[in-house]
Amino acid sequence: MTVLADHPTASVASIGEPRLLAGVAEHGRVDHTQHLRLHGTPVLRRRSWLATALEDVNLLGRGGAAFPVAAKLAAMPAGSHVSVLLNGSEGEPASRKDRTLMTYAPHLVIDGAIVAAHALDTRRITIVVHDATAHDSLVRACDERTDAGDVRVVRTHDGFVGGEIRAVVNGLNGDRAVPPGRRVLPHEHGVDRRPTFASNVETFAHVALLARLGTSGYARVGATTEPGTSLLTLIGDTSHHGVFEVPNGTPLSVLLPPSPAPVLIGGYHGVWVRSAGQLVLDRAALRAAGSPLGAGVIARPHAGTCVVSEVVRVAQWLASESAGQCGPCFFGLPALADDLAALAAGAGPERADAALRRLALVRGRGACSHPDGSALFIGSALETLAPELAIHQHHGTCGLPPSTVLPLPKGLS
Amino acid sequence: MTTIDVDWTRCDAHGLCSRLLPEKVSLDEWGFPVVDGREVEPGLVKAARQAALACPALALRVQSS
Ligand code: SF4
Ligand code: SF4
Repeated sequence: MTVLADHPTASVASIGEPRLLAGVAEHGRVDHTQHLRLHGTPVLRRRSWLATALEDVNLLGRGGAAFPVAAKLAAMPAGSHVSVLLNGSEGEPASRKDRTLMTYAPHLVIDGAIVAAHALDTRRITIVVHDATAHDSLVRACDERTDAGDVRVVRTHDGFVGGEIRAVVNGLNGDRAVPPGRRVLPHEHGVDRRPTFASNVETFAHVALLARLGTSGYARVGATTEPGTSLLTLIGDTSHHGVFEVPNGTPLSVLLPPSPAPVLIGGYHGVWVRSAGQLVLDRAALRAAGSPLGAGVIARPHAGTCVVSEVVRVAQWLASESAGQCGPCFFGLPALADDLAALAAGAGPERADAALRRLALVRGRGACSHPDGSALFIGSALETLAPELAIHQHHGTCGLPPSTVLPLPKGLS
Repeated sequence: MTTIDVDWTRCDAHGLCSRLLPEKVSLDEWGFPVVDGREVEPGLVKAARQAALACPALALRVQSS
């Protein structure tokens, strides 16, 4: 294992050779000249080739849902009316990997968009991005090359829920950037209400690598079940801080030196576990273990700090993020945040029972996955942090300084 | 198979659906309908359709497949 030195500003590193972040530790932002030296021009493949290759390397979407990209492609019609949409809005507040990728390796992202658009016989490419630095880097990258004239880079201003792909599509089409109430999917009604091949920006960078390296080259790294690498955001008491490129199949224990503190896997729609145990970086395996990787956030508070107070803080923020469209989410999440705050202040087991009842009332009862994801975060905290909560119940506090590793967008503290 | 579901972006917790179709719809602590997603028994399909038509927010949907 070689851990590359952190770039002073990028705070990126990798286990083994970086692929997506190749050159970043050395140069910082990889400009077009350096990109050509590292990767060459995008390798344009036919749709049938790409479909088979995506299936063979089991590429899964990197936005959080881990949907098979091959299936997404298969659902798409082709032609000049269809769109390719790259979601770089990175709504997950703890995640930094997408903005890091777009800021430091923008050309690889654009290459992936061009490969996908070519396979679908279209030139319509839209990249949505929230972060200002990442946006500027992408715009500059489009100017640095001659084949990105059709690429539209759009800055969004929406939060967690607004970063969901269907909300992004609504926003692009001039509607309110909230998830629609009916089941509409981007491959049917996407950008300009036309069929749209939409995925996370990291997904597209992998598409570019796959087209260049071919199936066997791409699969030289990673797990047999899920070849390649993943970008993770590591937070708190972890082996590295910031964005880390890791071969799939890596045991999570490598990223988490021994500690009694619990681990948050997947971000603020993720799951608290007592320890990484035998878990490995494999999306299907992590999902089967009940702790899906989500957008690739792995966080651990420092031992000797109060995790309960930090969970309360995040739960309050999740409640404030409800887009207010759907009653059970709008009323249920604040009620759950209150339950958690009361438990932290020493409320008895009947309050924990009330919280469990409310969890069942928010799950699956909204237009988007925000209530489900928030219920996952809160429910797993109640279960995993039972020992800590028991101390709070007896003393009204644990006496430890509050943990402050989980970042929140401005507003709530 | 006929099922009931709710468009949560529309539902305003009027609660009419629960009064018209108590067999299939209860209300949660905030007044929003709780439907279990299971098949609507043939004898209740007509009542379910009426409840959907009566919903002032057009939020209740009865789907047959
Ligand atoms: S479920 Fe919650 S966050 Fe999602 S659209 Fe409805 S109110 Fe908004
Ligand atoms: S009648 Fe319609 S608006 Fe009222 S609670 Fe039922 S579904 Fe919601």
